Amino acid sequence: MIRCLEVSLAIPDNEARTALATLQRLGIALSALDRSDLYRCDVDDDEADGLVATMSGLETIYNPNKHVLRVREDARPGPGEVWIDEIGSGNENGAGFVRVAGRTLEGVRSLERFTAWRLSDAAGRPAGAELVASATETLLCNPAFQKAVTR
Amino acid sequence: MSARVGVLVFPGTNSEDETLRACRAAGLDATLVHWNADLGTVNALDAYVLPGGFAYEDRVRAGAIAAHDRLMAAVRDGAIAGKPVLGICNGAQILLESGLVPQLDGVTRAQAGFARNAPLGKFRSKHVHVKLTIAPDRCAITASLAPGTVIPAWASHAEGRLAAQPEVLARIEREGRVAFVYCDSSGATTPDSVPNGSALGAAALVNERGNVLAIMPHPERDAWTYMHHDSTRERARGNATAMLAPSGGFVLFQGLAAALTSV
Repeated sequence: MIRCLEVSLAIPDNEARTALATLQRLGIALSALDRSDLYRCDVDDDEADGLVATMSGLETIYNPNKHVLRVREDARPGPGEVWIDEIGSGNENGAGFVRVAGRTLEGVRSLERFTAWRLSDAAGRPAGAELVASATETLLCNPAFQKAVTR
Repeated sequence: MSARVGVLVFPGTNSEDETLRACRAAGLDATLVHWNADLGTVNALDAYVLPGGFAYEDRVRAGAIAAHDRLMAAVRDGAIAGKPVLGICNGAQILLESGLVPQLDGVTRAQAGFARNAPLGKFRSKHVHVKLTIAPDRCAITASLAPGTVIPAWASHAEGRLAAQPEVLARIEREGRVAFVYCDSSGATTPDSVPNGSALGAAALVNERGNVLAIMPHPERDAWTYMHHDSTRERARGNATAMLAPSGGFVLFQGLAAALTSV
């Protein structure tokens, strides 16, 4: 079973704010830019329900005082989204378990991590493919060692 | 009139003072240039040094935001005009993100990057040595150095691993863009001497024209005898003049000064 967990900041995201300001200054017409960390897991069916509890106990990736953790309905990028994957770091599969932040995730056969960016156009709608590509190429992804995944 | 060097300071830069000190000790007329400086003044400088630190907190990626800073327009124009540009650590990351290095086929967009250290992906601070692996005159800043010069420095970064697509790495190697490689104190290149898993053991890259050098370890942090980790410091003990003498990593700043003297 594929489960995609999303960790987002519940407090202002200065990194997203800086990225948005930079892109706007470079003439890319975005009205908003949001960022979250994604963990896309291939997990045993009987471990899937416990995955959220396990991940929310990892203090280095989820702090209830400043983060929101949710399970995404869709394990693929949505409209206006681009997921950034660092080449060579996405899958830490091994021996039927995966370690995140030094903790073993039982029943997780593979795990991919992404930084997800959600782009809104000038009208506040999910940005179209061309706008996403422009922002991605300009700032959000360095193709030398990252890859960008879109819908 | 001596050449004027701008040591750029972005929000989050933290190594400007020791970099400035090294430049001035090498006889350069160096000044700090902050991110809000008048661009006319910046354009008039003869060379640029981008010091280490965490420009814009490394938001998005190390060097990514600073690569689009207004100051970089002056650096880009200066690099195209042939002015020497030296980037150290975060400065090197900015130069790669801005495409000024390695600049294969003259292209000025990011073709390589300094990615997270391997294997642990963590910040690591380690005393290192780097060896000049190109002909000295391949790069203006190294032209006054002897072939194979070994320089002590401090590798202090979380994103220092040279990374690029395989065909780009092959060209970087083939076209002699790796200016320095990690080595031990004797100049031997071994896997153990690479602190961050950098491809090709690369510690520094040079651009096509040879006037832009991006080096990850900090030479300014081992540029005076009292900073050294070898017998030279012990021999200088009790002799303040010897202890405070510039040496070691200082040679790179001497190289920058020599490059500007020859202009």
